[in-house]
Amino acid sequence: MSIVTSDSYLKSLLHGQSQLSMSPLERLNQLRANAVDRVSALRIPTKNDEEWRFTDISPLTKISFQPVRMASPLQSSSVEHFYLAETVTRLVFIDGVYAPNLSTQLSETSKDSNVVVSNLLAATSENLAAIEPHLGRHTDFQDNVFAALNTAFLHEGALIIVPRNVSVEMPVHLLFIATQKEVASHPRCLLIAEPSSTVTVLEDYVTLQEETYITNTVTEIVLADNATVNHVRIQRDSKQSFHMANCSVSLARASRYHSVSITLGARISRYNLNVQLKDEGAECAADGLALISNHQLADTHTCIDHTKPHCTSRQLHKCIIDDAAHAVFNGKIMVRPGAQLTNSTQSNRNLLLTSKARIDTKPQLEIFANDVKCAHGATVGQLDNEEIFYLRSRGLSEVTARNLLTYAFGAEIIDRIPIASLKFRLEQTVLEQTQKN
Amino acid sequence: MSVALQNLINKPYEHGFVTEIESDVAPKGLNEGTIRLISTKKNEPEWLLDFRLKSYQQWLKMEEPKWSNVKYPKIDFQAISYYSAPKEKKKLASMDEVDPELLRTFEKLGVPMHERAALAGVAVDVIFDSVSVATTYKEKLAKVGIIFGSISEAVHTHPELVKKYLGSVVPVGDNYYAALNSAVFTDGSFCYIPKGVKCPMDLSTYFRINTEESGQFERTLIIAEEGASVSYLEGCTAPRFDTNQLHAAVVELVAHDNADIKYSTVQNWYAGDEKGVGGIYNFVTKRGLAKGKNSRISWTQVETGSAITWKYPSCVLQGDNSVGEFYSVAVTNNYQQADTGTKMVHIGKNTRSTIVSKGISAGHSNNSYRGLVRVAPTATNARNFSQCDSMLIGDLCSANTFPYIQVRNNSAKVEHEASTSKIGEDQLFYFAQRGIGSEEAVSMIINGFCKDVFQQLPMEFAVEATNLLGLKLEGSVG
Repeated sequence: MSIVTSDSYLKSLLHGQSQLSMSPLERLNQLRANAVDRVSALRIPTKNDEEWRFTDISPLTKISFQPVRMASPLQSSSVEHFYLAETVTRLVFIDGVYAPNLSTQLSETSKDSNVVVSNLLAATSENLAAIEPHLGRHTDFQDNVFAALNTAFLHEGALIIVPRNVSVEMPVHLLFIATQKEVASHPRCLLIAEPSSTVTVLEDYVTLQEETYITNTVTEIVLADNATVNHVRIQRDSKQSFHMANCSVSLARASRYHSVSITLGARISRYNLNVQLKDEGAECAADGLALISNHQLADTHTCIDHTKPHCTSRQLHKCIIDDAAHAVFNGKIMVRPGAQLTNSTQSNRNLLLTSKARIDTKPQLEIFANDVKCAHGATVGQLDNEEIFYLRSRGLSEVTARNLLTYAFGAEIIDRIPIASLKFRLEQTVLEQTQKN
Repeated sequence: MSVALQNLINKPYEHGFVTEIESDVAPKGLNEGTIRLISTKKNEPEWLLDFRLKSYQQWLKMEEPKWSNVKYPKIDFQAISYYSAPKEKKKLASMDEVDPELLRTFEKLGVPMHERAALAGVAVDVIFDSVSVATTYKEKLAKVGIIFGSISEAVHTHPELVKKYLGSVVPVGDNYYAALNSAVFTDGSFCYIPKGVKCPMDLSTYFRINTEESGQFERTLIIAEEGASVSYLEGCTAPRFDTNQLHAAVVELVAHDNADIKYSTVQNWYAGDEKGVGGIYNFVTKRGLAKGKNSRISWTQVETGSAITWKYPSCVLQGDNSVGEFYSVAVTNNYQQADTGTKMVHIGKNTRSTIVSKGISAGHSNNSYRGLVRVAPTATNARNFSQCDSMLIGDLCSANTFPYIQVRNNSAKVEHEASTSKIGEDQLFYFAQRGIGSEEAVSMIINGFCKDVFQQLPMEFAVEATNLLGLKLEGSVG
């Protein structure tokens, strides 16, 4: 495979790509080759690109990242505190490499129902028929250099297949742990929910040390007719790291996708969520919270694409911006021609805690059908003095009143997470972060 | 859709006719020679020629912007004639001397200049193609010290004012079309309100594009000194042509301490036929600088015409406590395209801005709101409220909203909301129950939808706008 890259930086990121072993899925090999070609043709986006207008990722290019080295085996004791109380099904990846010793197998009951929760590499040959129509088909990497990079390295990853009429009771935990310095990892997830199935998945990005690294993820979620997926995404990467993420969701008839994404970590993070409502009656609820401080930059770009009639979408994205942090939100709602009776709402609320905090938001509606109900709103502001006064009149100190209000602002999103222990843990995090001064 | 309604929607453009007056047209094409020719024809001073040439050099370096949501064939800037003026026989002293052919044109348009001026108390600075041929009420305004006339005249009579303010709000290199305008602008209005003067009447101009294939490059400059106030109206109609015409105007407003400028537009230029052939390209740069403390700039626009409307009347709120307002109704039908909105740039303390935008799309049209609210770190306690509502009539049109909100000051409070709706069957049924036919019902619903904006218009315009909207949209629903 010849690699010709005009951008020498991107070329360096492709190091090690050619050493990947061939996959039994011929299309996958082809896909990787195509992705390498795309990486070669593309360049790192700059602020001159409309999609990256407010997010300057030039600090990324000042650091040279290596491919992941053989991970030193981790003891369960060092990562145990990331585990969830509820879940017994867990896939753990250390710097993007599958760690079988930390992962847990499916319980017997789930096994009987043919649920697949496994490393993509190991399960490909057994599940060719199920994977083939979806893997790499939902995330377009033609103009997206990070998705192309991830696809070029498509190798290991999390694979979840929930068969028809099966409801997975306990949440599935996908834990991605970063341990090495100045490496680039490319985690990949594929979730296929077959007709009338139900599953809750937690995609969790954590770190063991405050280091500089890139996590470049691609997640593809496919919902067949009447399937339900609860998708929780927590990004707690190191405050020095870079986190680039693409998530593509495809919804069939009467399926339901609920997602909550929480951004806490990374120096610069970018999350692209693309939801396509591909058939009638599909329903999407996408909530997000970015809680950032110091010089963090958190960028969320969402696109909710209504292609067929009678679909519903709801979105609430909140940002709490402290110190000199910078949040970016771009929420696009698209209603295609013929997608009548669409009902779509979007709200973006931003709380600026200091005078140096910065927000650039752009809620966007593109509507090509007349019989629809669409509304969006955006607000930017600080804590309301009257609300603070109300609390103070009841004996709370000014600091406590402020902390409480800030906490409540974020808690609205966290409350929507369907995993109790995680909810509790995140609420603690928000409390800690807001309880300074 | 009923037949009667269908007929109404297909109503041809009433004002489509060409007045045959011998025009003094410059050869097609743009180069330094053309600019020198314009300058010589207009007998301009040296500094203005330098300004034009500087702009032209800037323009050459720039690229045509591509980011908008409008589509049109590439404009050949060398195929446009940049100067066309009705041939003057001699200097005109009174209205009676105006070319009767010209007067008939205005007659047909329903603008009997003197009558209208007398009845409505409006001074009309009539611009026919590029040269101002008659100005009324000038004396009355001059008494209170207001300078109101064509900009080419002002260049000679008040060069110090024009020199000071021209290009101060919209710099020559601001954007592609503003640079082009700065290089080749032929005429426009100039208005100066001295300190403490409240303009005793609404000022207005009527623009009209006449000679085929002559792009019009208007330049308007309005300055309100400390404590002054003025309300300025602009209305447009244009005859039917099949080749597209480019219109790239620049409007600059400057408001000093406690000054108040209200700028209202009703735009009904030829929009092309029902197949989308022809029509005006309306690519305009309008910007107001609220320079002084407590100053106020208010834009009101009713955009119903043009094949493509691409403009963002903006306010730069520099003075403390200054106020910016934008009220807009944009109607598109058939194959019209509109990408319009506003920019509110908050720089001074306690600055406030309000945006109310109503977009109505019908037929195969495309209507976009694109707006920017920027709060600079210095704009403590800035406040913005934006509301953008769209209404879609028919399922072949589209409505888009692109609001950019950039806030760098935590004491700022910014709110944006947008919604999309249609005229519902239930609403029409409600009207029918009360004996109101669907046509009238639609007109009432639309007027209700646009009420917030129409209320901002001066009386005569409000009536005109209501009728215009009815005319444009009747028959789209049913």
